[in-house]
Amino acid sequence: MIEQTNKLPEKVKYDLTFAREIYSLENGAYIKQCMQCGMCAVSCSTCDIMDYSPRKLFNLIKLGKKDEVMQANTFWYCTSCCTCKARCPRGIPLVDVMHDLKKYALDNGYCNYPQAAFYKAFWAEVASRGRSFESGITARYFLIQGLDEVIKYMDMKDVGIDMLKHNRLPFLPPKKVKDLGNLKKIIRKAQELAQREARS
Amino acid sequence: MEKKIGVYICTGCGIGDALDIDALSKVASKEYKADICKTDAFLCGKNGIELIKADIEGEGVNTVVVVGCSSRINTDVFNFGSDKIVERVNLREQVIWCHTNDDEDTQMLAEDYVRMSLAKLKNLNIPEPFIGENLSSTVLVVGGGFTGLTAALESAKAGYKTVLVEKEDTLGGYVGKMYKQIPTKPPFTDLEENSIPALIKAVEDAGVKVYTSAGIAKTDGGPGMFDVTIAQNGSETEERVGAIVLAAGAKPYDPEKLGHLGFGKYENVITQLMFEEMVAAGKMEANKVAFIQCAGSRDQEHLPYCSAACCIESIKQALYVKEKNAEANVYVYYKDIRSNGQYEHFYKRAQQEGVIFVKGDITDISESDGQLTIEADDHTMGTKSEADEFDLVVLANGMVPSAALGELIEEEAAEAEAAAAADEPKVTVPPIIKSNLLNLEYRQGPELPSLKYGFPDSHYICFPYETRRTGIYAAGVVRAPMDMLSAMEDATGAALKAIQCIESTMKGEAVHPRSGDMSFPEFNMNRCTQCKRCTEECPFGAINEDAKANPLPNPTRCRRCGTCMGACPERIISFKNYSVPMIGNMVKAIEVPEEDEEKPRILIFACENDAIPALDMAGINRLQYNPWVRIIPVRCLGSLNLVWVNDAMAKGFDGVLLMGCKHGDDYQCHFMKGSELAEIRLSKISETLNRLGLESERVRATTVNIMDYDKIPAMLDDFAAELEELGPNPMKDFQ
Repeated sequence: MIEQTNKLPEKVKYDLTFAREIYSLENGAYIKQCMQCGMCAVSCSTCDIMDYSPRKLFNLIKLGKKDEVMQANTFWYCTSCCTCKARCPRGIPLVDVMHDLKKYALDNGYCNYPQAAFYKAFWAEVASRGRSFESGITARYFLIQGLDEVIKYMDMKDVGIDMLKHNRLPFLPPKKVKDLGNLKKIIRKAQELAQREARS
Repeated sequence: MEKKIGVYICTGCGIGDALDIDALSKVASKEYKADICKTDAFLCGKNGIELIKADIEGEGVNTVVVVGCSSRINTDVFNFGSDKIVERVNLREQVIWCHTNDDEDTQMLAEDYVRMSLAKLKNLNIPEPFIGENLSSTVLVVGGGFTGLTAALESAKAGYKTVLVEKEDTLGGYVGKMYKQIPTKPPFTDLEENSIPALIKAVEDAGVKVYTSAGIAKTDGGPGMFDVTIAQNGSETEERVGAIVLAAGAKPYDPEKLGHLGFGKYENVITQLMFEEMVAAGKMEANKVAFIQCAGSRDQEHLPYCSAACCIESIKQALYVKEKNAEANVYVYYKDIRSNGQYEHFYKRAQQEGVIFVKGDITDISESDGQLTIEADDHTMGTKSEADEFDLVVLANGMVPSAALGELIEEEAAEAEAAAAADEPKVTVPPIIKSNLLNLEYRQGPELPSLKYGFPDSHYICFPYETRRTGIYAAGVVRAPMDMLSAMEDATGAALKAIQCIESTMKGEAVHPRSGDMSFPEFNMNRCTQCKRCTEECPFGAINEDAKANPLPNPTRCRRCGTCMGACPERIISFKNYSVPMIGNMVKAIEVPEEDEEKPRILIFACENDAIPALDMAGINRLQYNPWVRIIPVRCLGSLNLVWVNDAMAKGFDGVLLMGCKHGDDYQCHFMKGSELAEIRLSKISETLNRLGLESERVRATTVNIMDYDKIPAMLDDFAAELEELGPNPMKDFQ
């Protein structure tokens, strides 16, 4: 498999501020361990359509190319299949690193990819009910992407209606889980823990 | 010694079923008039051994011929003491397991092997070991660095008097100058305190005699009796030692040659050693440091080899910077990080500490205001990269063995001789560099021959530490580039080898590969023509020259390969149990059928180190091969004397095959160049063969290693087929 040509400028300079910021993410420190063997790249099933293979992405982080990293589709195209994580000789949990990068991108406003909208929609829906509600996720997904997108997606209404007819898309939201308050507490606690770990 | 020969034929392991044992007995008792000939169904069993012992005691048998299995097994069972000759005839691995049973040809083969063994006994005597005078059991260690100190400590702890010679005024060498050292124990992630002070103390406590600011002016003699002149402060001391460990270490590659990396141009471009000294002195203030790997190593313009230790040394030094300031920026530019074995953990540790590793070639280094800028091709990203504001750039400048520092000795004498014997094809001679380490009084040169790039190794596959001078063992970075852990192992290994050599010499035995062999070459000087071939060709420099230009053997240096015996055109060199007439008799004892019987004969001279085991392996795996072959084991193909080939040809053999070990860059010859020599000698014999009216294709050399056993049947069949095309040897019916 041939890795894509990258989009780097003629000469790069190392910027360690961005690198350090990424290292401080929950699983970010693992990136330092990468020895550029390329096992992740050859294992990845979506590497062909990624802007940079995982190892190259890690190298870009090391170089401090913040925009290139954050605008890359790499982590959005990660399907969490875990092949790279299982094969990495240095034991880097690449899937978790990719999750961290997605979250970092969202937090910092790098949301150009539809996957980012979907992540947001899915998370908002689940956090509000404790269950997923397909119609709700769909609606949020379109809305997050903006009005233009909504109009575009109206073309897909026939599919939606068909799915509704066949009970594949519930019209009414499901019941919330019991004791939603406690679930929210759990989530809050988990977020606190994640932040604390990232700091330490 | 009057020989009383007892022949004992074992009928076990299927030998009795496959062969006509009565006919075999007749060969021994009627044809060769052996005093006793008995058979037993289980000779290596208790009763079988008792049978032989009863004859030794009752009948006075002193020469036991065991006809049964390979001489490579049951050596302990058939050991009747050093005053008895034991000869083994291999009817199992080399006859019945690889040839058709109950067959006329197989029977002829077995009978020939019995004949060959009995003929061999005529010229075979019990070796009398050579015990030198005033043998010393002292170990001399040359070099007082990490390896030398470890070797001295190990040999002293093993109870051997040890002498250490160091050229500097203090012990410790390169490692002694280090701030801290790389991890040598699990978990292999932490810097360790410099072990040299503790090592020096241990060496002193162990009672090692230390000479500092001293060098070796002269080394004379051989194992067990090296007379070493140690020059110290203008005076000279003599020490008699048994064996020598050469741990002279290496020197960092001359950084002046690394101008392209800014050395000499910019003050803040320094070498690993300079950095080490800077940190040790507490003068290291830098917060942004770049390390450049392979500065000199793995570079065809400089050192073509990997210096093996610099990567982990740089990792260690990167950690010094991080230790001082965790926020410091440390870059390592590398080709490949070579952190072998457990040192992968050390590499990972450095990565976790935030050291940045950049795989790339440096294209430019520039400076402004004392700050350095490095431009490189980043191979991972495929772009040019730039990093600036470095306070310091450290070059990993690799190592050059001390043995390589000096002038190459041009063999002036040899050239003159070469002119005299222009028709002699010359064997490749390993270079000797006049490096002023040992100053050997050897005819072949004052230092150890080097294997490659000046490293004085010998047989790196089978015998590390072993050099081409018996009793002198190279250890540590003088032998090959290596890290401290390997050097420690090397030092211990070489010390043990030195001790083994001392112990063997005390008993008059050879060191490996023929460990335990008591024989040594004897020279019949009356007929010596002073052609110097033996002194030239001995792979171990065992033969010097006396004032009258006669060969002067040093028996304790000898490894008993017999290369001198093969080299001697006058055939004046022989061993008590291995000689030109002995093998000649074996050749003559083989019955060569007349031409009209259509039974060709092929003679194989097979090297005992690899070819014979391979032939045995073929038997063990029941691979069937051509029954026309007769195999004669030789100590090394280097001992092959061309007269044997002549004899065989004159006797009517249709072909002769030499089976030796592989030689060349990845050579396996256990005596360095035996098979190579044999091939060279063979190239000279074609003329003789043509004179006899024979095709020179009838004689050829091949190489096998022990794993080639499966190729042997095809090898022999092909040769037989080619001989068949040539037709029978025209000399056949003249005998």
